Amino acid sequence: MSTRRAVRSGGRVEAQLSRRGFLTATAATAAAAALAACGRTSPVSSPGAAPSSGRGALRLGAIPDQDPEVLQRLYGTVADSMSAALDLDVSYSPVTDYGAAVSLFRTGDLDLVWFGGLTGVQARLQTPGAQPVAQRDIDQDFHSVFVVNTATGLAPADDLTPLAPLRFTYGSETSTSGRLMPAFFLREQGVDPQGFPGGPGFSGSHDATLALVAAGSYQAGVLNEQVWGSRTAAGTVDPAVVQYARTPAFHDYHWLLGPQATQRLGADLAPRLTEWFTGLPAGDPVLELFGADGFVPTEAGNYAQIEQIGRSLGLVS
Amino acid sequence: MTAVLTPVAAPAVLRRDGVRWAWGLGTLVVLGWSLAGAGLFSGAVVNGAGTRQFGRFAAAALSPATDGAFLGVLASSVLITVAYAALGAALAVGLGAVGAVAVARTTWGRRRLGWALARGALAVPRGLHEAVWGLLLVNLLGLDPWVGVLAIGVPYGAVTAKVFADLLDEVPRGPYDALRATGAGPVPAALYGLLPAASGGLLSYSFYRLECAVRSAVVLGLIGAGGLGYQLSLSFSSLRWPEVWSCVYALSVLCVLAVVAGRAVRRRVADPRPAGDRLRRDPLLTTAVLTTLAAVAWSWWYLAVSPATLVSDRTGDQLRYVLAAAWPPDVDGPLLSAVASAAVDTVQMSVIAIAVATVGAVLLAGVAAHPVRPTVARRLTGAVVRAALLVLRAVPPPVWALVLLFVLLPGILPGALALGVYTLGVLGRLAAEATEELDPRPRAALTALGAGPVAGWLYGALPAATGPVLAYALYRWEVAIRDTVLVGLLGAGGLGALLASRLAVFDWGAVTTVLVALIVLTTAVDLVSARARAALR
Repeated sequence: MSTRRAVRSGGRVEAQLSRRGFLTATAATAAAAALAACGRTSPVSSPGAAPSSGRGALRLGAIPDQDPEVLQRLYGTVADSMSAALDLDVSYSPVTDYGAAVSLFRTGDLDLVWFGGLTGVQARLQTPGAQPVAQRDIDQDFHSVFVVNTATGLAPADDLTPLAPLRFTYGSETSTSGRLMPAFFLREQGVDPQGFPGGPGFSGSHDATLALVAAGSYQAGVLNEQVWGSRTAAGTVDPAVVQYARTPAFHDYHWLLGPQATQRLGADLAPRLTEWFTGLPAGDPVLELFGADGFVPTEAGNYAQIEQIGRSLGLVS
Repeated sequence: MTAVLTPVAAPAVLRRDGVRWAWGLGTLVVLGWSLAGAGLFSGAVVNGAGTRQFGRFAAAALSPATDGAFLGVLASSVLITVAYAALGAALAVGLGAVGAVAVARTTWGRRRLGWALARGALAVPRGLHEAVWGLLLVNLLGLDPWVGVLAIGVPYGAVTAKVFADLLDEVPRGPYDALRATGAGPVPAALYGLLPAASGGLLSYSFYRLECAVRSAVVLGLIGAGGLGYQLSLSFSSLRWPEVWSCVYALSVLCVLAVVAGRAVRRRVADPRPAGDRLRRDPLLTTAVLTTLAAVAWSWWYLAVSPATLVSDRTGDQLRYVLAAAWPPDVDGPLLSAVASAAVDTVQMSVIAIAVATVGAVLLAGVAAHPVRPTVARRLTGAVVRAALLVLRAVPPPVWALVLLFVLLPGILPGALALGVYTLGVLGRLAAEATEELDPRPRAALTALGAGPVAGWLYGALPAATGPVLAYALYRWEVAIRDTVLVGLLGAGGLGALLASRLAVFDWGAVTTVLVALIVLTTAVDLVSARARAALR
């Protein structure tokens, strides 16, 4: 742009609004906004995140692993139900990825998080004093399924070695059922979990794994049995995808409670939460949301195997 | 970056010098190498069986989700995105103004070393994508609105500082020198001798940054900072295409509003309305500035940003935690070789992306430009092409990467094409604007002599448009290399994929190494691109 023009537009002006008036008004608006912002809760941060003032709320978090929208909209139910039963302020913050949830748990932004097996181990190692409080009945006996595209012509079997020469995708990088345990079982059968042609893919989610195997871009993949079951029941699975194998059982998802919440809200918080979770009656909306018949107590020792496998695969440092 | 504001004028005389031939041949060699790297010459890359999955995505474009509850969620997300964009851009302009003083030649005078070091320091914040800043800041600040504001403000601030400094250095020195000669100190002399002359350019550029900030605010949502991008990523991870498309359309509307408003301001600054016999404030510019200031104040209130967070003990603790874990960087052999091969992938992806986008932009620019003598059919085609370009750039690259992976085999090609398609959306618009600003006479002369529309375009418009379009393409190449991180973060290969895998396991030492590699690579591409643009002029 020409200098002449710039001079003309920005040159000496006869102001209608005096400069001093303009600056004063701007400063006043800014000051008013700053003052008004005090005491307001940001729409993007966790409500009640003011540890200095009073007890504060119990801040619930979850990694949307399946049906994120449903989780996001229904988590209000969990927060309300828990709040009424335990006489606490409970707020819910959805988090988009595993890594962020672990970090936010470490920083104390989240108090009680629904972690996967591996992410729970990562979070516990980074946050001394964190303790698991409950898991679903199905989490003590969790499975993954290997799926293949029908074009591979593979018939269901227990032998995983025929998968080795296929283009293969995992789910999210730190998913227990979509990555860690399948990699472990592959290695047990002598298949290099990173050795698939072109390297394994990381689809990012169980649904994306299904879609990519249906498309044939990846000939095989692995996902959480619960998701596979619910998609099959809903009839949304493309007929080009079939189940190939089912893994042995392992422990997966659990609720992990952070140490700061215990300090703030009382040492008996963990037992109270365990009691509330395990006491939920069959048919409770919270159980339906989690796709379980009930919650059961759990302990850190249940995830020792996951930690060990995570270390050997370089996923826990 | 200045290229966006000052398109390179095509030379009046034809020059066929060796330097340009060398650059041209070099480009072809690099492109061939990149395509070979993408496996184009070694077997199949297309997966025909995936068209059905791709079709589901495409078909949902016609049936976006419109249920009330979802639209309500979208509306509040739009507000968050707008607030991030406004505050981020405001912070960038503030940082840019301070930074400009630090990197302007005027400040350093003949001390060239100091000037070069100050400029070099800008490469660090600039070399990292907003999403990377966002991921790092989440670790320091947790769920706080500052994450989004700083992730936009810091890298944008560095770019803005560079451009502001250039603008200040380019205005005539007469008034400044005269003030200095009469005894004014350097600061008042700059304020009264340089600033008024540069203010038009500064204002234009600030509004351009605001436009860009809207798209960046969406990208930040993808990594969890809230807003429209966040809703989009939630719907995307369970492949609910109708809801994804609703988000895309909401984003398109937002982008159109930002661009239309920003362009109105920039046009007015470039071509002020004659004020008659007295100088007075331009009402359009005054309204724009006041509205923006009000929007910034509103955003501050809406997001409830608290400066205390930045200096709180907790933030300090987290900073110490991350720094202690991240230093020293990992330099073991396997990691370095992984970084090197990922860097090669990143370069190849960016080259393919820019090649696809440039070819597409050149082909579409003529149709997308507002026609000189419009017929109904021509006007309609133009509108359709412009809308299509808008959608191309409103669908975030990670979404393109997944849907292209349905119809392509895994490798760097899906990621490269995803970036290419997205960049085409941006470059197509820039090329169309460049076409509109061409001298219409050569083409009119050819038409008057009986040339058909295609021949008229080929000989009358294309030669003159080549210079500006190539300059834009080279500038977008710098942007594309940063954007490869974005598709990589969601698994499409390159340094982004490596960064994502290291972040996922909290291997901070390796994260530092990858970040350093990214900054070095971005700086190198920046330098090459600047040399190539110089050769074009």
